[in-house]
Amino acid sequence: MAANWAEKISAFSRSPSRFLSGTTAEAFLAELLRELRDDRASYNIKVILLSPLCEHPSLLCSSESVGEETALELMSVFAQCPPKSVQFRCHLLVALTSVLVCTSCVSGHSRASQDFLELLFQLAQDTSDIHGDISLRSLRSTACSCLRELEACCPCLLSQRLELLSGLRQQETSGLHQAYAGLHALVLRNAVYQLTQETGAGAEHLKALLGGNTSVAWEADQDSGLMGIKVSAIMPSLISGSMGTVPTLQTGPDCKELRSVLSSLLEESYLLTALCQADLLHRLTEVVAMVPGIPPAILRTQLLRLLGTSEVCLFHTTLLMKCAFTDSLFSAEDEAFILKRLVVLSQHPLLSTPEKLFYMDCILHFPENRPISCGDGDETLPVLLTMRLASALVPTVFNDSATLLSRFNLLSLVNLEEGEEGEGEERSGLVYLYDHLISLLHIVENGGSREIVVTFFRAAFLFLFYFCHVELYCASLTEKLCKLYLHHTQLGPHLITLADKTHDRMKESKWAVGLLQALQNVITKAPLAKLTLQDLRWHLKVLARVAEEGEISQCSTLNFLSSIIMPSSSTLCVSGDWRLGNSVLTVCRWLLVHPSLDSLLIPLADVLQHLACRYGDTDIQDHARLYYTLLTTLSREKLAGVLAQGAIEGGTRVKKRSLSCLITEGEGLTSMLTIHQTEKAVLQLTEANSELQKEIKEVEFNSQGPDEVNATLEAYRAQFSDPSFASEITLKYLLSHVKDHDSCFDQLFSIRLHFRLSDNHYEDLHDISVHCLFRDRPSPTVQLNLKPRRPYPTTLHASAIFTTQDGQSWHTALPDIHVAFQQVFMPLPAPPTWGQCSRLRVFEGLWDKICSEDRDSITSLFCCQVKEAALNALVEKHFLPYLVSDLSNTDEFKVLFFLPPQSHMLLKIRSEEDAVHFNIATDDWELLPHLSSYLLTITSSQDEDRLSA
Amino acid sequence: MTIRALWIISHERGENVSVRFSRRFSTVEHRAKSLAGSSYVAVPEESTVLHLLLTELGLSDSGKPYVALRDDCLHRPRSPAVELHVDGPGKGILWPVLAISQGPLILACLPLVDVPSEPRPPLASLLSVSQGLTLLAGLQTFLLGSAGKPDGDGLASRLALLPSILLQVCPLGTPLDVPMLGAPAIPTVPTSVGTQKQPAWKTGTYRGRAVVNIALIETVRSMQYGNQSRQDLWDVYGTVTCKCEVEGVLPNVTVTLSLPQNGSPLQDILVHPCVTSLDSSILTASSVDSSDSSTFSGPYKFPFSPPLEPFRLCSYTSEVPVPPILGSYQLKEEENQLRLSVTLKLHESVKNSFEYCEAHLPFFNREQMGAVEVKVSTGQLDVSKEKNLLVWALGQKFPKSREVTMDGRISFAGPTSGPSDPLCTGLTAYIKLYFKVPDMTLSGCCVDQNSVQVYSSAKPRIVTSRELQSKEYFIWNSTGAAPVSSGQMML
Repeated sequence: MAANWAEKISAFSRSPSRFLSGTTAEAFLAELLRELRDDRASYNIKVILLSPLCEHPSLLCSSESVGEETALELMSVFAQCPPKSVQFRCHLLVALTSVLVCTSCVSGHSRASQDFLELLFQLAQDTSDIHGDISLRSLRSTACSCLRELEACCPCLLSQRLELLSGLRQQETSGLHQAYAGLHALVLRNAVYQLTQETGAGAEHLKALLGGNTSVAWEADQDSGLMGIKVSAIMPSLISGSMGTVPTLQTGPDCKELRSVLSSLLEESYLLTALCQADLLHRLTEVVAMVPGIPPAILRTQLLRLLGTSEVCLFHTTLLMKCAFTDSLFSAEDEAFILKRLVVLSQHPLLSTPEKLFYMDCILHFPENRPISCGDGDETLPVLLTMRLASALVPTVFNDSATLLSRFNLLSLVNLEEGEEGEGEERSGLVYLYDHLISLLHIVENGGSREIVVTFFRAAFLFLFYFCHVELYCASLTEKLCKLYLHHTQLGPHLITLADKTHDRMKESKWAVGLLQALQNVITKAPLAKLTLQDLRWHLKVLARVAEEGEISQCSTLNFLSSIIMPSSSTLCVSGDWRLGNSVLTVCRWLLVHPSLDSLLIPLADVLQHLACRYGDTDIQDHARLYYTLLTTLSREKLAGVLAQGAIEGGTRVKKRSLSCLITEGEGLTSMLTIHQTEKAVLQLTEANSELQKEIKEVEFNSQGPDEVNATLEAYRAQFSDPSFASEITLKYLLSHVKDHDSCFDQLFSIRLHFRLSDNHYEDLHDISVHCLFRDRPSPTVQLNLKPRRPYPTTLHASAIFTTQDGQSWHTALPDIHVAFQQVFMPLPAPPTWGQCSRLRVFEGLWDKICSEDRDSITSLFCCQVKEAALNALVEKHFLPYLVSDLSNTDEFKVLFFLPPQSHMLLKIRSEEDAVHFNIATDDWELLPHLSSYLLTITSSQDEDRLSA
Repeated sequence: MTIRALWIISHERGENVSVRFSRRFSTVEHRAKSLAGSSYVAVPEESTVLHLLLTELGLSDSGKPYVALRDDCLHRPRSPAVELHVDGPGKGILWPVLAISQGPLILACLPLVDVPSEPRPPLASLLSVSQGLTLLAGLQTFLLGSAGKPDGDGLASRLALLPSILLQVCPLGTPLDVPMLGAPAIPTVPTSVGTQKQPAWKTGTYRGRAVVNIALIETVRSMQYGNQSRQDLWDVYGTVTCKCEVEGVLPNVTVTLSLPQNGSPLQDILVHPCVTSLDSSILTASSVDSSDSSTFSGPYKFPFSPPLEPFRLCSYTSEVPVPPILGSYQLKEEENQLRLSVTLKLHESVKNSFEYCEAHLPFFNREQMGAVEVKVSTGQLDVSKEKNLLVWALGQKFPKSREVTMDGRISFAGPTSGPSDPLCTGLTAYIKLYFKVPDMTLSGCCVDQNSVQVYSSAKPRIVTSRELQSKEYFIWNSTGAAPVSSGQMML
């Protein structure tokens, strides 16, 4: 059982959607809660059971009310849990927080969340662990974490408890003071923020706030004018890099209460772990930024300690302080020092690579005291970052690729900057970068790994991006890339992408065209004797890309093509390799639309004709013939029109990847061959009248069947040895047009309906064919045979393909079909010869079995207020087909719903003094929630019926 | 200052990938949704995250030479914060996904962006990023051990501990601490009596005799080219590791580092967060700014209150005038033979007493070694089992002349080819030195036993040690092209 649960829960967290398609969220939640309440389950397993509630509460609790109920359940589990299961109780608190926050119970101030809040405060104040069990401390600490999360998710929830929190923090001498400090700082920050949002709030209000401890915020709200405005939205961090956005609270210089709170928090910050310290300092930075009455210098006592730290998050807080206070806390020397420090940290041998990369990113977003640019989030160099300083960060071949590219980028920026000013040093910087690029190229040449290849091309792109104006280097790079390509043709796709991306990104630069031209040159000039098939494959890909460029003369490409297909020099044509032939054709296709086509006409025609006659693959021959015909018969404009369509869309080149798109749309041929998609729904399926659905067979009272209960039940159950027995339900629908009138769909033919399941409660459905559907004739009936795996309500997605009168084919989606729970009901599938007595015996037999077994069986009771007459009507209206007892026997109705494949729901309905009791017994407890919602619906609608009558 | 989700993934060079652990913080996700508004992108399911992350890290489809999404030259993954392009219903870019990887493990988390997300804020404005990095690094150390070496069973058992560990260090997505590497081995008492607050990073109080152990290790790196046109490079960095067993809730200890007269100042000093205060003059000297005119050269005082476990009190770098061992390496290609000549010279300021000293001469992109006719003036020469590496063990001492040589020729005629390396082709080759010298530092920096002050009742036992070790100590063949390794030469 335990292993089962662990497996089940891990399946859920791997893919909640797939898991829930096999059951329902309600059922799974019910199952979880049941197991959590079960005393026999071990607490280790119970901890695992809580994880879906912690991680996906909103999936399991679909509404606020479900969340509220779940939370109440969990709280009762908490209350009953023995104090020594500390771990489990901590996990429970986390789960409760998750459920209440994510189902909006906290922001809705629900009863459960108020109770939970009280519970948390009780736990947080319970210091009985000081002399007792140390492990109980983690309960207090978790309670603080939960309070803090509630405050973060629902700002100012705890504003009224500031004084209490402050007291708790000050009294605590164990390591737990950290938990209180974090909580205190967050509540303080939110409360101060709230004050800044109120007009006229000042020093007095601040003082009141710090001393206030009345009750929970939302209770105080109603009568406190001060707390009139609620900060309900979740609050973003106030220090975000853009200046002047921090709201302020005008207090004048008199705010010694706040100052003393801040000092005390700062003083103790040293005692916190680095992570909590960073968090606390950041919160206090925000508070100081909001209250101009407190000088930022209050933070100065901590600064040196933080600037010297080896902890990344602590150093980061000083950068954020710098961002918030600029020159009111940091002098120009400080700024220079911090920047130097950042450079040191970016390449420190003892720091990890991710940390160094982070620091490098901080250099490019350095919070300057007097920024020149507006800081729009782009990378900018700090003014103080000189070449000399940055030289510590030059890329080398020993760097990992992320570091290398980051440094390459940074140094390129520095070079660009300096290039505008000086002459000496920046030249050497550029030389260095170029040399570095070339040493990477050598490594690639010598068989570097895939990672190095990718890194090299990324570095090359960066170099071109920043320095495409330095022609000397770019020309030399082109030359080297061509040489590289000849030796490693498999790098073809990298080169094509490099050309594409430089072309797209640097519109004014001609470098990409130059590279392609150079590649064409080396490919066509290389001796054919050494050409391998592998090389040829890549050459043709590159040449196809070259042929896209109108500025590049294509004569050499054509020469190359003719020389490779001529039998004297190659066996290509004889081999009949379809892919290669297709690559040749792709080049030809681009040549057909090349602006210099006139000069290429005869040699191109020769190539195509040769392919059409000699190539060893019929498909290639056919396509070559088509191209040949197009080339020789169409005028240039038409040819361009036929072939170029679709190649240029929305200004960007769209590459046709599909191998079959050798010709493009001409005479609406494709429109006949393709299936169109309707914009709106055309068809719908509506439930046929229920009388049609289920025929009620009159059964004789005294016909044959076994006499004794057990024998009857056995005979009944024996029927299920045939797996197909009573396994299907049949639902009837009418196929009709939707209301919207579109005359072109008035007459539809060869309609094929396809159904898709939304979960896996049912077996896949077969497609259904309908010959025709005319708007003015009666709707045909469609019969859906559903085979349940689990008889739950479900939704079917339906679509149809059909033909219209003009011969076009269409695909359309139909509105979803909802299969209700009661649609799955079937009468007892007893042998048709059995009489009512036998049926009753089956009922009794099943009832007893269910009451005695405990596996999945369960009994339950549903009550409602219905008058006797109304009850009879209700039974007649809803239960007649399933009634096992005699309708005239109004003392007790016995109803049996059979749900394929093998579930039963048995009802004994009886009017008692106060209400009607529906005694329920079922062999599948997971069906209960569905049944009770069904009963609720029919009994309440009965009320309405009566009212309206 | 929180994270939305956490994943731990194991893989073997991009294959056999699996998510070993994942955790979503639903309340933080709730906040993310509300903060991001219409630009909110939900965290996709595990398998999707896995696929996208591997693509972004260049690890997916390891069999294919080129995959456009993975290898595009325009796209530069901004490690450590990469972006995942989520397709399908919750379409959008998930950012910033922090990912760190070591050996077979990839640890990733998604920090909450708690500032306006349009336009995308710089990484530097999100405190959750540096916190996320700290948490991931802490988890990594916990899972792989401080040596960074994984073992299957150990890893599995530590992964199984994660739920309860996270309950302590990150119960609701706000990281509070990094996991402890097992309980401290020294006797402690957990209660704290009196008014002094217990630091949160200290689980108890030590009881017993006071012992303070301070180890100073200097590491020297070098790139020597033996070439007029190229300046040789070397650098030194030191770390001071402490283990303090001192009574009291918040005992005070001060360690002082001192330099010899004329010693060059310690630079780039980084300290452990338990250091209580720092003098600004200690932080001034920096290796990246040679124009620095400060003349401060110690003593360097570090007052701190020690945690229970061993920790790195501080680290520094230092500029020393000469490398400890100066080498020259010359190769000549002669038919299928290499003629080689090596000289290593130990500087006179270095103590001639090694714990070990070895020179490794690897030969890449060649066949296996055949005949090795090489003479060494001192020490012992071995050919590795794979026949592609010469190991010259120099032992504990250089000869009186402080100079050793190796001469001879090697033919390459083995039946199979040796290892390849795209960097070391042709005559590009190196010697790598491995050595350790106890009881000395290159910078001259030392911790005087008498200068260690412990403010506690009992007189503590104080143990100090120091040593010098090499790392990445390369001597390149001067007749071949050697890779550039520093920007110093461009100035």
